[in-house]
Amino acid sequence: MSAYLLRRLWQMVPTLIGVVLLVWLLFKYFGADPAVILGGLNATQEQVAAIRQQLGLDQAWYVQLGIYLKQIVTFDWGRSWATNEAVSNLFATRLPATLTVMVPILILDTLLSIPVALGVAYVRGSLTDRTLMIVTTVALSISFLVYIIVGQYLFGFQLGWFPVQGWSDSTWTNLTTFVPLPVMLAVLVGISPQTRLYRSFFLDELGHDYVRTARAKGMKEDTVLFKHVLRNAMIPILTNVGYNLPGIFVGSFLIEVFFSIPGLGREVLLAVNRSDYPVIQAATVYLAMLTMLINLATDLLYKVVDPRVVLK
Amino acid sequence: MSAVLTTPLAAAPRSEGVWRTAWRRFRGDRVGMVSLAIVAAFLVLILLSATRLVASSWQREVGVPNAPPTLLGPRPPEDLGTIEVPKGPNVDLSDVDPLAPKYKEWAERAAKMKTEEIPRAQTLPLGGDRLGRDVLAKTIKGTEISVFVGVLASLLATGIGTLLGAFAGFFGRKADDFLEWLYNVFTAVPDILLIFAFAAVFGRGIGTVVLILGLTGWAGVYRQVRAEFIKHRGREYVRAAEAIGASTGSRMFRHILPNVSHVILVRMSLLVVGFIKAEVILSYLGLGVPVDQVSWGTMLAEAQAELILGYWWQLAAATLFMAVFVTAFSLMADAWRDALDPRLRGAE
Amino acid sequence: MLLSIQELKVAFRLGERGAVTLVKAVDGVSFDIPDNTTLALVGESGSGKSVTAMSILNLLPDNAQRQGRILYQDQDLLQATLPQLQSLRGKEIACVFQDPMTSLNPVFTVGAQLAEPLVRHMGMGWRAATRQAEGLLAEVGIPEPKRRLDSYPHELSGGQQQRVMIAMALACGPKLLIADEPTTALDVTIQRQILELIARLKEQRRMSVLFISHDLGVVGEIADQVVVMRQGTVREQGPVAAIFSAPKDLYTRALLACRPSLTDVPARLTVIDEHIQGKVSAVVAKPKDPAAPVVLEVRSLAKSFFLREGLFGQREFKAVRGVNFKLRRGHTLGVVGESGSGKTTMGLTLLRLHEPTAGEVIFDGRDLLKLSDAERQLMRRRIQIVFQNPYASLNPRFTIGQTLLEPMMIHGIGADGAERERRARAILAKVGLGEDALGKYPHEFSGGQRQRIAIARCLTLDPEVLVLDEAVSALDVSVQAQVLNLLKDLQDELGLAYVFISHDLAVVRFLSDEVLVMKDGEVVEQASATALLAAPTQEYTRNLLGAIPRGYRGERRSVTTG
Repeated sequence: MSAYLLRRLWQMVPTLIGVVLLVWLLFKYFGADPAVILGGLNATQEQVAAIRQQLGLDQAWYVQLGIYLKQIVTFDWGRSWATNEAVSNLFATRLPATLTVMVPILILDTLLSIPVALGVAYVRGSLTDRTLMIVTTVALSISFLVYIIVGQYLFGFQLGWFPVQGWSDSTWTNLTTFVPLPVMLAVLVGISPQTRLYRSFFLDELGHDYVRTARAKGMKEDTVLFKHVLRNAMIPILTNVGYNLPGIFVGSFLIEVFFSIPGLGREVLLAVNRSDYPVIQAATVYLAMLTMLINLATDLLYKVVDPRVVLK
Repeated sequence: MSAVLTTPLAAAPRSEGVWRTAWRRFRGDRVGMVSLAIVAAFLVLILLSATRLVASSWQREVGVPNAPPTLLGPRPPEDLGTIEVPKGPNVDLSDVDPLAPKYKEWAERAAKMKTEEIPRAQTLPLGGDRLGRDVLAKTIKGTEISVFVGVLASLLATGIGTLLGAFAGFFGRKADDFLEWLYNVFTAVPDILLIFAFAAVFGRGIGTVVLILGLTGWAGVYRQVRAEFIKHRGREYVRAAEAIGASTGSRMFRHILPNVSHVILVRMSLLVVGFIKAEVILSYLGLGVPVDQVSWGTMLAEAQAELILGYWWQLAAATLFMAVFVTAFSLMADAWRDALDPRLRGAE
Repeated sequence: MLLSIQELKVAFRLGERGAVTLVKAVDGVSFDIPDNTTLALVGESGSGKSVTAMSILNLLPDNAQRQGRILYQDQDLLQATLPQLQSLRGKEIACVFQDPMTSLNPVFTVGAQLAEPLVRHMGMGWRAATRQAEGLLAEVGIPEPKRRLDSYPHELSGGQQQRVMIAMALACGPKLLIADEPTTALDVTIQRQILELIARLKEQRRMSVLFISHDLGVVGEIADQVVVMRQGTVREQGPVAAIFSAPKDLYTRALLACRPSLTDVPARLTVIDEHIQGKVSAVVAKPKDPAAPVVLEVRSLAKSFFLREGLFGQREFKAVRGVNFKLRRGHTLGVVGESGSGKTTMGLTLLRLHEPTAGEVIFDGRDLLKLSDAERQLMRRRIQIVFQNPYASLNPRFTIGQTLLEPMMIHGIGADGAERERRARAILAKVGLGEDALGKYPHEFSGGQRQRIAIARCLTLDPEVLVLDEAVSALDVSVQAQVLNLLKDLQDELGLAYVFISHDLAVVRFLSDEVLVMKDGEVVEQASATALLAAPTQEYTRNLLGAIPRGYRGERRSVTTG
């Protein structure tokens, strides 16, 4: 097991180097000149040149790459060009807000999708099954934007059940006042694709031989579905959840923008609009590391769920 | 050799290939055919729009701001109170007015020009936006742009993914290791973040959006094509091809690829839907199509502000067109997948 | 009478939207299973034997429609409700299926799966059920049963998995055991053990067994009653002695006659249709020329695979070690072994489809393994291969014409397209297929026909040596006979040399002049076919020969001897 862990951690290094290279190359060769951006619209030539020298942009490319690598290794993410705030501080203060919204969404999504998908698999082929499939297809064809716009308008503006926007410092207030509306909308949208996916997992499993054996042993259909099939389907379901996990850190950006929640996603979006390169670069590398660690954790969890897996 | 005239190979009775059989099966699927008809209708609309036969003048402000749809009838005229105009003759300022000498000249020049006074319509078929532009024209043009971006981006992503997946799956070892590393690099960063990073760097524009989506979305196709090529390269018919001396290229693209093409097609149709939705979000955020273009996303951006004021028609139009097209396309793709299913085909 | 099947008809609804067709699988089948009897249901693929057995407990897919009566203890099972069936399944009537690896649930332990029917039907508590499960594992002959309770199915070998399936079926003491091809997927020595186990358990528990198989050899050894099915109907039924020594139905007689035997070698095998029509083969065996020139000589051939292990290490897996033989023109070398013996790897290495690790393959005085790429292309013409799986060896997207023309085009045979076509047509005729096959796709042909097409593909290049890797193993007995006869005819006519790889000694006997027996990559014994089968010198060969089911041999003897 420890050999496996070591090997996996060792294999992360080339990937991380690749991400760093990708980000660096992308911003260096395709991005605008940082000196010009920082100088602003009215900077003179001399000012721009001075900024360039300050940032060290007039040095050879390998020197610049070296500096960049050193910054990453020492976890020095630099400062935001827009606010001059240390990027690491930026992340630390914005992360809690994102998590307060996204973790409930993730939990509710999964917890609700599994029983719905199980139910649909139970009545497979019937009118209910087919109707639900059409309904989810239509629901999926409407952009998330529309749901938020209409939802915010209806529940916040017209009915006044929830505040349209806002955030507070207390986590409890957030969870009870500001989080319910966005979470409700996101879960409503997220259930459709998850249910369809999990349903396909269940139907797949139902076609396997061991289901016939379970029936031949005289097991009731309930037992077959809720015990035999569910246990096997947990493997792809867990893989799917693990796969989606890294996406929650930035995936909430739409919600954060609409509801004015000071989270990580909105921060990155602001950075994109303002060409605030240090923030975007740092977010990319930081989240790549996080994704790889989460993938490793998912793979380790795999071993617990699927006894056939041999971690080599 | 026999002296009897035998039919040449080209004229020999040829059985149905995979695609014809699938088409026959597809024809029997009512839902699929209806969806195909809807998608085809949209494609005709897009073609008309692209060739400027329809909706080319969407930017013209033909209606009053926020004109309601024809069905609802015109808005009651607002009660515009007039500001009190002071009575008495105008004061003569010619001695202090620096522009005074020019007035006569300008008045003569202005008399020579004609201004077109388009009577602003009170209602438009699907309503007007805040500048009075025809929502119907905007929606049609937006359809063209959004679908175009979606299809082109998915073609790009599928092309990249297929090529790389074929190489990785077929050759294995070093090639596979390198491409696996590339895949890991691109998937280590969450999708949206990667798109944001590219968008920050490349800026706005239709071509840019296609490039961004294509370059970030190839990973799924790559994974699947690679798995298929690995599965097929060990199959006996590929071994047999090697045994009779077929070249590597021949084995990859003449033998294996046709057996994998239906999987790729289904994957691509999923991508189209995903990319259209992604483009809508990007355009909404101002990272997608440029300012002088319209897409479903820009319409939704405007719609948000309008909704508070009670003007819902732009939101409805964009959502309706998008929902109908994406639903029809998804159902059609589902039907295609069922028609191509090898289990029903009996060939494997 | 334990179970009585009366006029059973089963049809499947195929096709969903649009054309819905009804395909008949079983068309009026009737037979009875008495107490304490082993009844064998015999037939080739498509005979409906599995469908009949699965109808008893309604384990058929949702699109199946059944008619008729199945009486079990005065209850018509076809009219029974689902809860009634569920209380019978696993308790009164139990099943063992063909592929134990997929039939066992991979995420539950063996103990949990064994205890499940006990808890369900016998009302036992979990602990009591687990103890009972341990006893069951011991009864089916699994060593260290207590430890095995916590194992997962994938940790067991194929034979052990099947024993677990049997234990699971017997847990509640059923009166009828339905065994659907339980030994088909196993090696011949393991098959022998499982057959013995089933027979012993049947005696001890005094239950009936409905044994489904396509192998008459197995049926003859273990059955008391035999029912022969073909294309959904019963052709003949009766006690095993009567069926084997005095079959009345033409099909039964043909089925018995066309099995290749271990003892005598006819010039041609009987084919079912010819036998039914009363045709007798008039071909006389041509003696082989012992002084024919050597076309292929193999010296110390070895192949190893390297697997990753540990952090950076590698482990060598020797698949083939040190194989030597000489193959003469017009002769056949048979290579026999069980799964994992390395025989297939050896065959693939001869064509360099696997790159060998060591050794020499001398073809026409040149070492095949040392050829340059251009020379290797030329060599490809002279040594070809036919694979086992007829469903995977032809490209499903190519027409037969394209498949046959491709090798000719690659090697530049034939002056133009028209001449290549003529050659293709001629070769198709030679393998017994009409020229309208050129425009068709593989899925329109049966397994036997596809193998002929695969052989035809090899013949387009005019090879001298043909490697046949389990080429007839996936075919029904009667189709097998046809293809074997074809191979023999081609050998006589064209002077082809064969390397015939198989696990079935009887089939190897029919074609081969010399036989190699392989185990774990090594050649255990090598001798002429007659010498090896009459007087094997090695113990492994003797075990192999002894494990082969011989069919009915007179009065019922213990299954272990013979």
